[in-house]
Amino acid sequence: MPVIEVADLRKVYGERTVVDGVSFSVEQGEIFGVLGPNGAGKTTMVECIGGLRRRDGGSIRVAGMDPADEGVAFRSALGIQLQESRLPDKMSVEEALNLYASFYPEPHDPNVLLERLGLVEQRRTYFAKLSGGQKQRLSVALALIGNPRVAILDELTTGLDPVARREVWDLLEDLRGTGVTLLLVSHFMEEAERLCDRVIVIDHGRIIAADTPEGLAANVAADQRMSFSPSTSFDLGILEALPDVHGVTAAGERVTVTGTDNVASAVIIALHERGISVGRLRVDQPSLDDAFVALTREDVGARTEGTVAR
Amino acid sequence: MSGLATVVRRLPQTNWTAARAMLRSEARLLARNPAVVIWTAILPVAASIILGAIPGVRAPSHALGGLSFFQVYQPILVFFAITLLALQALPDVLTRYREMGVLKRLRTTPVSPAVLLCAQLVLIFAVAVGCMLLMVIVPALVGASWPRNPGGFLVTYLLGAWAMLGLGMLVASLFHNAKVAAGFGSFLFFVLQFFAGLWWQRPEMPSWLRHVSDVTPSGAAVQGLVDTSLGHWPSTLHLVVLVVWGIVTSRLAVRFFSWE
Repeated sequence: MPVIEVADLRKVYGERTVVDGVSFSVEQGEIFGVLGPNGAGKTTMVECIGGLRRRDGGSIRVAGMDPADEGVAFRSALGIQLQESRLPDKMSVEEALNLYASFYPEPHDPNVLLERLGLVEQRRTYFAKLSGGQKQRLSVALALIGNPRVAILDELTTGLDPVARREVWDLLEDLRGTGVTLLLVSHFMEEAERLCDRVIVIDHGRIIAADTPEGLAANVAADQRMSFSPSTSFDLGILEALPDVHGVTAAGERVTVTGTDNVASAVIIALHERGISVGRLRVDQPSLDDAFVALTREDVGARTEGTVAR
Repeated sequence: MSGLATVVRRLPQTNWTAARAMLRSEARLLARNPAVVIWTAILPVAASIILGAIPGVRAPSHALGGLSFFQVYQPILVFFAITLLALQALPDVLTRYREMGVLKRLRTTPVSPAVLLCAQLVLIFAVAVGCMLLMVIVPALVGASWPRNPGGFLVTYLLGAWAMLGLGMLVASLFHNAKVAAGFGSFLFFVLQFFAGLWWQRPEMPSWLRHVSDVTPSGAAVQGLVDTSLGHWPSTLHLVVLVVWGIVTSRLAVRFFSWE
């Protein structure tokens, strides 16, 4: 039975429809990604699910409850990490966790959570003195302290440096299998690729794709791209003649070739036959990033055509 | 989105463990940022103690209608402290908590952010009462007079504090930017101090100005405090003025307050 069920959710601000008929469901224990460009309506949508905003249409059930009632039971079942929410500067890590633990009927042990989040050494550090990654980990801790069934994490790693970002990802990976359901809002594809079981992509308030991260990436008809430095210069026409190759460009001594799934082996064999070796080879799979760009671009294309047709 | 009205209705379900933890936490934060309290408390407390210790200041003055300088100024200073705390310290901390998302984060928990507002009100009020007691007790110990009608003095003080805290909450409700709220709080503070008679004592005001002052919360409260220190009861007009200000500002603050 799904722990989050959203059906035909709508939210309107004045004339603008920010969330436009979104439906999906999330199973207990899943890490579910909500992806989309900035301003796509992701935050508004999860704030409706979290009971922080009133929806204008559709239905939402979280752990069997309607967020609109904002009851104590609902708030205890759901933890939310908000975008850009700070704590008072002079509140220490330990004080914050103990304070928030006192709000819930069956909280986690703050000490266990401190350990799990790697904040033991910072337990007496004031919020203002924490690094960006530590602040975000504390934020995750506060979302989890009440022992929720569902945690919503909104743009958790935005603004973090790559090291801090990986710290937070490691932490979330550790949470997999603890039974807590995570709803992860992000515009980082790498984050979704690494963490999410399933994702939806939102643009202009509508779901434009729903799949596993691998499934999304595979479904995009993007070319494979390879690049290398050949041992000697050669006629690019040799490669252009290959059926698997779609395009060849050269910049300096570096050659970049795009084509089908087989492009890498076809190029290497063709050059090997001519005694040319391939140095510093790099092959890029179409990634979720490509899928995302392709999807959101298609969406914009569809919209402009729609406008013209009208 | 004003959730405060809903909260007031749900008050009986308050989680008292959480409320106590919040009060302790806010008190600790206040103790770690003592500057606000020290600045607001030190000046009026020191001034009233010094005034009370100088014999000449305690002598009746003809210009002040037979009252001593101390009798005119002690109530002004007592009210100065609560006004400063209510109009500067309170909106400052509340608007900053809103800007930082502290209130919004609390909304995601089973505990209402209103508990945090209440904790702040309780703390600010406690500091103000502490200042008031210092300003009454210490000068009396060094030779100034005690309020002759302590019950009336206390009632007037409590009603005045209610009106001021309500006004402070209203400032925090209407202005979302901490700096704008602080600026407006300062402006209100000076206006109210003018009507309280800080620069131009009420007995020396022309009668039309005194009538205006009578319906301001500061004018009404200060006159009530003067009357009760002399052993009288505060006039009905002044009590009604304070009650009306208290009700109106509290209701408007609840109506307009938003968590984000």
